[in-house]
Amino acid sequence: MGVDSDDEDLVVYGTPIEREEDTSARKRRAVAEAGQLRALPAWKQEVRDEEGRRRFHGAFTGGFSAGFYNTVGSKEGWTPQTFTSSRKNRAELTKQSIYNFLDEEDIKDMGGNALETSQQYDTFGFTAAEHARKQASKEQKERPSAIPGPIPDELVVPTKNSIGVTLLMKMGWRQGRSVRDSHADSLYESRRNARKAFLALSGAKDDEDQDQSAENSSLDKAVVGSVEEIPVSGNTPVYVLHPKEDFHGLGYDPFKHAPEFRDRKTLQKSKERDHKRNDASMRGNLLISNSGHYAPGFGIGALEELDAEDEDIYASGFAYERTEVDIEPSKAASDSNYKLDDRKRGFYLNFKIASNSEYKLERFLPPEIPDAFDAQHKFPTPVQSTEKFSDSAPLEVPPPEDTSLTLLIDGCAAMVARCGKHIEDFYKEKSKTNPQFLFLSGGDGCDYYMRKLWEHQQKHIGQQRHDSAKSKTSSDKLTAENRGKILGERPLDRTTKLHSPSLSAKDAVQLQSNLIDTFVKPISLDGLPESEKPFSNDLAKQVRFEQFLRDKYKGGLRAANVTPTSTMSEADRARERLDFEAAAEAIEKGKGKKVIDPSSVFSLPGMNEQRFVAATQPESSVVIQDEKPIYPQREQFEWRPSPILCKRFDIVDPFMGKPMPVRRPRSKMENLIFMTESNKGTKDEVESSSRSSQHASMEGVADVESQGATNDTDFEPSSLQRPVDLYKAIFSDDSGDDVDEILSNQPVDPVKTSEGANMALNRLVAEDFLESLGKELGLEVPPERPHVSSQPEKHLAAGASLPSQDERITTVLTKVKENQSYIGMVQVGNINEDIPLASAETLGMKYEKQENRTEKNRSLPMHRQSQNHSPRSDSSSERHRSWKRRSHHHIRNGTPESESSGERHRSRRRKKSHSRHRKGRSRSPDSDSPSDTQRERKRKEKRHRRTYTSDTDSSDHEHMERHKSSSRRSSDKDRSRKHPIHHKHRRRDHVNYS
Amino acid sequence: MTSSGTGAQQLPRTEARSLSGHEGAVLAVRFNRDGNYCLSCGKDRTLRLWNPHTGAHVKTYKSHAREVRDVHSSSDNAKLVSCGADRQIFYWDVASGRVIRKFRGHNSEVNSVKFNEYNAVVVSAGYDRTVRAFDCRSQSSDPIQTIDTFQDSVMSVNLTKTEIIAGSVDGTVRAFDIRMGRETVDNLGHPVNCVSLSNDSNCLLANCLDSTVRLLDKSSGELLQEYKGHTCKSFKMDSCLTNDDAFVVGGSEDGYIFFWELVDAPVVARFRAHSSVVTSISYHPTKACMLTSSVDGSIRVWT
Repeated sequence: MGVDSDDEDLVVYGTPIEREEDTSARKRRAVAEAGQLRALPAWKQEVRDEEGRRRFHGAFTGGFSAGFYNTVGSKEGWTPQTFTSSRKNRAELTKQSIYNFLDEEDIKDMGGNALETSQQYDTFGFTAAEHARKQASKEQKERPSAIPGPIPDELVVPTKNSIGVTLLMKMGWRQGRSVRDSHADSLYESRRNARKAFLALSGAKDDEDQDQSAENSSLDKAVVGSVEEIPVSGNTPVYVLHPKEDFHGLGYDPFKHAPEFRDRKTLQKSKERDHKRNDASMRGNLLISNSGHYAPGFGIGALEELDAEDEDIYASGFAYERTEVDIEPSKAASDSNYKLDDRKRGFYLNFKIASNSEYKLERFLPPEIPDAFDAQHKFPTPVQSTEKFSDSAPLEVPPPEDTSLTLLIDGCAAMVARCGKHIEDFYKEKSKTNPQFLFLSGGDGCDYYMRKLWEHQQKHIGQQRHDSAKSKTSSDKLTAENRGKILGERPLDRTTKLHSPSLSAKDAVQLQSNLIDTFVKPISLDGLPESEKPFSNDLAKQVRFEQFLRDKYKGGLRAANVTPTSTMSEADRARERLDFEAAAEAIEKGKGKKVIDPSSVFSLPGMNEQRFVAATQPESSVVIQDEKPIYPQREQFEWRPSPILCKRFDIVDPFMGKPMPVRRPRSKMENLIFMTESNKGTKDEVESSSRSSQHASMEGVADVESQGATNDTDFEPSSLQRPVDLYKAIFSDDSGDDVDEILSNQPVDPVKTSEGANMALNRLVAEDFLESLGKELGLEVPPERPHVSSQPEKHLAAGASLPSQDERITTVLTKVKENQSYIGMVQVGNINEDIPLASAETLGMKYEKQENRTEKNRSLPMHRQSQNHSPRSDSSSERHRSWKRRSHHHIRNGTPESESSGERHRSRRRKKSHSRHRKGRSRSPDSDSPSDTQRERKRKEKRHRRTYTSDTDSSDHEHMERHKSSSRRSSDKDRSRKHPIHHKHRRRDHVNYS
Repeated sequence: MTSSGTGAQQLPRTEARSLSGHEGAVLAVRFNRDGNYCLSCGKDRTLRLWNPHTGAHVKTYKSHAREVRDVHSSSDNAKLVSCGADRQIFYWDVASGRVIRKFRGHNSEVNSVKFNEYNAVVVSAGYDRTVRAFDCRSQSSDPIQTIDTFQDSVMSVNLTKTEIIAGSVDGTVRAFDIRMGRETVDNLGHPVNCVSLSNDSNCLLANCLDSTVRLLDKSSGELLQEYKGHTCKSFKMDSCLTNDDAFVVGGSEDGYIFFWELVDAPVVARFRAHSSVVTSISYHPTKACMLTSSVDGSIRVWT
């Protein structure tokens, strides 16, 4: 309202119209309050309805919009319903109306328009009567009456009839009569009139319409009969006696020309009716199919359709085929039809079927053929004569000297050529005496005439052909010839000239040879039959080809023995069939063109040589092994039962739950890097060089090698899991593992155990790599003497296989040295080149190496520092490890502070773990080979060290305490027994993780 | 030959009784493990439990929506498994007649179904060219294993303690050895209708659609014998060995039953049992008793 301060540009004229509801005082107050409310803080504001009443209430004051306008809790608020047992007094069917749900306000909103029944189309006038009664009583009240008091209702009569009654009355109906009477009579009358008119009209027509009229009259009769039959009093509706039950068009009679089928159809209908009546009795015997050839039984599911599979294949032997002619589509007879039929039967009691039908079919005899009629028609037209002429063209002769004679001959020849031979005869007849036309009868210039005539005829034929061709393919594209003709050019007559013997045989040969020279290498004419045998160099195939051709032109169903070569694969057969198809087409084309264009024929064999013969070469091997395979043939494949199936069959899983070998790598890159490098690595390793240091992990490498070489595929999927494994090994703490150990009570799985060991060793290899890296970065790394010497018996037990394996390790190390120069630059390439690891470990390597690199980039001085520390540490390998560990710390928290405490702690821990492991090895019942124990020990050891590093920076003592307690909890003996379990469990853990 | 002659005397050739009740073709009839009862199923979508020795009809199991093609009872007689054209495998409780579980997974009709030794797994063969194994002990209705190496509809499946053996229309009998993790494919060159095992589980009997029953050595895959004379060209019909492994029994499409001597393969006995195709034959595990079922809706007990 009014002008807002914001839009000053807006000018408003006049006074705004105030809407009525705005004037409501309450509303105005509400608006005013709203302004105030808005100024209040949010928690004090209240929602009010348009009447300014409070809309929401707290939970204790009735909740959301409580009751009928906040009456909850008030005196007039809701009271809970008293309980009434529904056992005795059942709930009544309450009829709800809309007013139950409306309050006065809503009703007011509706504008006082109550829903009422209209009296307008009241058929029987009850409401009208009511209305009148009311009106009367109202009037009665208003005017003073002689009779005091209200008039009894009985006295008041309805003043108004209903609309239906009114209409009927207007149409002549009176109360108390049945509706039909006048109606039916009038119908009958009108029908009779119509029929009279129709008969008068059709009297002129012949019998052709008889049928129709007969139909009509019969219909009329039926109507008449029905009318006569019906008792006058009833309001019985008139039934249509011949309802349209078929799907034909209106008025179409399928039996118009075949009345004998009509009887059959009615027969069939009545039979169907009988069949239906007998249905109940038939239902008992379900073997007899009710619905065609479908299987007996009850309905199938609503969503399933009847299809081929429901057909009762077995029943076909018993059920008789229905041979009755069913002209119209079968129709499901409905119930109403059935009833109608019954009624019809009633009518037919008085209605006889005529013994002789009025309907008679007019038959016409075939026309009589005169005896002299010749079925073949001869054309006396020039077409024939020209054919004759074209056979033997006269030789070219010089025109006679007389130019006028030349002209005459020319014109005459043109005329004859155009109009036909009979013109010539006519001329001959007419001008017998005329010396000028002597040439017609063999006189002077006869030869020239013949020649000219022939020329003209040729021209004429050519033209005709063009015409016919054009008329045939008028929609075709404009060819060069057509265009030339349109432009008035002389047609080249190429085709006809080839026919012509005027071209000498020598010329023809020359032409052909010329063509051959230009297109293909010359092939002698006797190559023609060869063209029929495009597969002559493969006899079996040629035989098959001939069979194919025979089949192709024979038509009909293929014989079963067409292709007995079951050894040929489906693809081969298809290819061969394509070849045959092409060859056949080529031959056909050749045949067709032979007459016209010999060059195409000549080119065919050569083409075949190129196209088909070459293709048959690889197939020859297939053809040789054509003989029938001997059955039964046995083949064996690997098959992986699912673990649960094995369990349910109570069989040990032959594959130990290993995943299927075929699994796609996540990306091509992974596959590429790991596979190629691991293979290359194994190859490289074989060439060994000098050995420098003793190393414990060579067996791991060896194992990795063998596994990588034999079943790379088995390892590949796990490549995606290993990195997590390594990572966890570094950063997880021991206590969790101990819990795992205790929890795991699975039977020992030898394969899994060895795998776990392998994995651990692979990890060792990774560490070795790091060690070598450390070397390359300027740290001197002496061999791990202390560790090894701590258990000398282990090495002795490892057996004779050690030296060769050691050599391999050395190779690894040397290779690392070679590659170290570009270690920081080419990350991936490096990884792949220096360590001959199985693909699984490479990824793990990458992790560590990346860490290394970051370390290197960041803190070279730190290495020096660690180098300074080195005398303090008890072994060089230890020092190396410390360096590495620190690197981890750097990556994780970037502080080198904790190194000394970590060192101390570690050394202590190591001693402990060593002793423990020694015990474990000696007592372990599961470690069947010393190498195994060694591997395990190593792995365990390293893992322990790693795990410690993760904790050193944060809570050394705490961790130690924890670990001690855990180790106390499980005695050494227990531990030793559980080692293999532990490995296995760990591995499984990772599988679950990834 | 004398032994076979005496054996031939004992062949069940006289009709003891006829079990009637099925409306429509009976597609399979099976003795239970001990041979005291038998189960039948057919196109009327019901399974029926009979006592074939008294002819008593014990119970009818209704739940299938379409024809029931095969039924098998567990070795403890507590459970039934049945399959049919409604693509589901029904796992029944015998006593209550209720369906405990429906195994889904087949994409089309299921032709054959069997329990394993411990009634823990149901193995089914279907028109969808697969053999599927379902776990009875889990709540899942999905297969625990799907074998889809077949090239065509799998008609019949049989189980030993460690193997799943199935015959297919692609002409192969495939044995899946769970213990070895091997699949052994024996290509017979003709569609295989029914695979049954000898009682010593060393031989396979394959009923082929070229009207030949073939006996194979299971371990070597060698064809030991062929039995001919009957007609089997288009219907799934059973053939089996007698309980002493001395004879081969097979049905014919003209309603005849054939007995062949196992080793030399002459037709020992041949008689007309039904008016129409003999769909199924079941031989008593111990006694000389046989059940036959036919498309004509009858089940006959022969002793």
